Amino acid sequence: MSVLLEMKNIHKVYPNGTAASRGVDLQIYEGEIHALVGENGAGKSTLMKMLFGLEMPTSGTILYKGEPIALSGPRDAIKYGLGMVHQHFMLVPSLTVSENIVLGEEPKQGPLSLFRDRGTEEKQIAQLMATYGLKVEPQAKVETIPVGQKQRVEILKVLYRGARIIILDEPTAVLTPQETDELFDSIKALVAEGYTIIFITHKLREVMEISDRVTVLKAGKTITTLMTKATNPEEISRLMVGREVLFRVNKRPAEPKDAVLSVKDLQAADDKGAPALRGVSLEIRAGEVLGIAGVEGNGQTELVETITGLRRSTGGQIRYLGEELAGRSAGRIRAMKVGHVPEDRQTAGASLTSTIAENLILDHYRNPAFRRGPFLNARKIKEFARTMMQIFDVRAAHEQVAAGSLSGGNLQKVVIARELSKNPKLLIVSQPTRGVDIGAIEFIHSEIIKRRDGGAAVMVVSAELSEVMALSDRIAVMYEGEIVAVLDNTEALTEEEIGRYMLGLGTKTEHPERKEQEAI
Amino acid sequence: MKSVKDIYLELSGIAIAVLLALACGFAVILATSSEPLTALSSLIIDPVTNPFNIGTVINKAVPLMLTGLALAVVFQAGVFSMGAEGQLYMGGFAGAIAGIYFDALPFWLHFVVIIGCAMAAGALYAAIAGLLKTYANANEIVTTLMLNFVAILTTSYFVNNVFKDPTSGGAARMAYLSPEVLLSKLIPGFSAHGGIVIALAAVVIVYLLLYKSPVGYELRLVGKNGKFATYGGISKNRVLLTSIMISGALAGLAGIVEILGIHGTFKENFSAGLGFDGIIIALLARNHPIGIVVASFFYAYIQVGAQTMQAGSDMPREVAVIIQVMLVLLVSAQGIFNFMKHNMRKKGGVV
Repeated sequence: MSVLLEMKNIHKVYPNGTAASRGVDLQIYEGEIHALVGENGAGKSTLMKMLFGLEMPTSGTILYKGEPIALSGPRDAIKYGLGMVHQHFMLVPSLTVSENIVLGEEPKQGPLSLFRDRGTEEKQIAQLMATYGLKVEPQAKVETIPVGQKQRVEILKVLYRGARIIILDEPTAVLTPQETDELFDSIKALVAEGYTIIFITHKLREVMEISDRVTVLKAGKTITTLMTKATNPEEISRLMVGREVLFRVNKRPAEPKDAVLSVKDLQAADDKGAPALRGVSLEIRAGEVLGIAGVEGNGQTELVETITGLRRSTGGQIRYLGEELAGRSAGRIRAMKVGHVPEDRQTAGASLTSTIAENLILDHYRNPAFRRGPFLNARKIKEFARTMMQIFDVRAAHEQVAAGSLSGGNLQKVVIARELSKNPKLLIVSQPTRGVDIGAIEFIHSEIIKRRDGGAAVMVVSAELSEVMALSDRIAVMYEGEIVAVLDNTEALTEEEIGRYMLGLGTKTEHPERKEQEAI
Repeated sequence: MKSVKDIYLELSGIAIAVLLALACGFAVILATSSEPLTALSSLIIDPVTNPFNIGTVINKAVPLMLTGLALAVVFQAGVFSMGAEGQLYMGGFAGAIAGIYFDALPFWLHFVVIIGCAMAAGALYAAIAGLLKTYANANEIVTTLMLNFVAILTTSYFVNNVFKDPTSGGAARMAYLSPEVLLSKLIPGFSAHGGIVIALAAVVIVYLLLYKSPVGYELRLVGKNGKFATYGGISKNRVLLTSIMISGALAGLAGIVEILGIHGTFKENFSAGLGFDGIIIALLARNHPIGIVVASFFYAYIQVGAQTMQAGSDMPREVAVIIQVMLVLLVSAQGIFNFMKHNMRKKGGVV
């Protein structure tokens, strides 16, 4: 087989200093199914964006049939037959299936005609559907068809535009097992016709089932490319979670005291109403860090939101220092000394058009100490903001600078400063260092550990397994809305072991009713 | 708060928009008038040459300032209420009724009651749109625009029927209020009435409310980033309702001040779009109370200039409308421009 597409030593550094790719090599053979696996944040999406022309690499080359090419937009990508099926569908809900497929490329009745040639259109679409088993009712409105069919429309759209290399970004994430099987049949039909497939996923079962070769990415680097037949899920998962230590935290052993938070059989639904938490139970004691590991989208977000009052629970208990949190508003919970660093600081964690000072006083503006008569005490606020900026090393000219002008790391320091400024008894930190420059990471980690040593109960949720391992005293692994394992973070604990639980390959919990079992 | 440079940029942008709008007005005058110099001088110079005209500029600026403030408050909370006009009618109506029926009170208390009734009526009327938004998720632009018609036509019915002054003949109005409670001239011989004092006091109060009080902090936070406010435990619905009611109270105040200062009682169609002019004022002022003072005076100045021009030359006063429309166009285009600049900066950062 000949090399169709090649990426050589690709680097991508965002202006805020985040290095998303740090030396990626990828060779795609013509007519193969090439799986691309890696943890969240390993750089899969960035890589694909570069292939599809949405982002330009900072350095490195992309070769198409041996010739270097520059992709500066999706139009360039399609010129080389590259098509992408996004994880989040890009369809117009109010248009029909066939209108979506031809959108922008409608066959015309003549070269100068303004009218769609519906006959040709229908014929072409029917042929595509029949050849690859992608059956969808062409006249149905997209908003009325189920998710699996929407995905077929996406694939048809890409085929219609003449793509020969199809990138599928986590295509099975939204599919039922039945739909997944059908998708795989279509993929096989496509490959039989000479198409090349790049398949991004973190489900190892699928890698084994469908791919010819698999490339493992880790922390922005290509670790290796393997023949699928010559490897096994254990090896891949070991490579995926890797050994490279990105985070180093100096900390003493924890001295846990009484339980601060105790969650029992917690249930909640995601935004679409599907169950996201299926009976989560956990306990965090004063003076310890509980890490939540898991592939993103397994209920971590919903768990944090439910505890902090931003999402309604549908069952179970959240006991915090003897009080029930379920049913209380976010404001009440914040006032009970629960600190929460949200995963998305750009939208939920900060108001970018407000000043640093305004961001910092979120919990204090009702406090009489910050008042002067009916008004806010400007001097006190300024003093407070300056002190916080100094303690937390926020680098900005002054406290009246818009928060949005800060770098990722400095903005995160503002968020953390605010959440720590109320001396939380429970601190919940989601993705503490996502998109944060290296310099700030160490500082943020040491602040978290300082709070633990000061007697706070800390919960750390991170997609970076190495971060969870560096910070936590115990690690709970979430998989499909459940805690599948709770592990003591000892020297003996390996990333491979956690990785297995993360991928749903085994369970180990403290539930007496569940027997310890380990698969594979 | 923004850096000095940003404020400077913003101000120069608005100044350019104002100058361009004026230039368009001048161009029309130069192109169509047979005596362009006379027309121009009567447009620009006459409003400020005699005390009577200056007083008229001030009187016209008063309701604009109040409706401008009313809209700035909701806009800062991210609510696009267009309902100041209707709230103004409701406020004026309630205030005038209080003026007629509580005549037995001592005049200072009577005055306070009139103002209080007007503001309360405006606030309560605004609350309808607020409640529809918070509980039924109804788009506030649609509801407030519709409620404007309801207010204007309802009050029109009442002044034509129930509360019509029997001595008014063909005019649809209520009985005139007792002169004691009307806003008197500030200086004898100078036409400006006491409304300007009320308007400027309102500017100061709204400024303090928005920028120095906890309520204002919440209000602006919800307007800037609702998700962040929710995360911080601020009830978005409560803030939305508060902001729209404060806005309604200010619009109601605008209505009653206009009645007490100019008309003497509630007359049918007495506003003729003050609530909508307020939208332009708030846009021009970028929702800032200080800017609203400047914008109201400028706007009033153009309107009076149009009148003096019509009286003093062959140009009709509608030239002022051209200038106003150009202003709206340019100022909103500037908003789009800023948005694009912002986006470009973001994109440029990535590439």
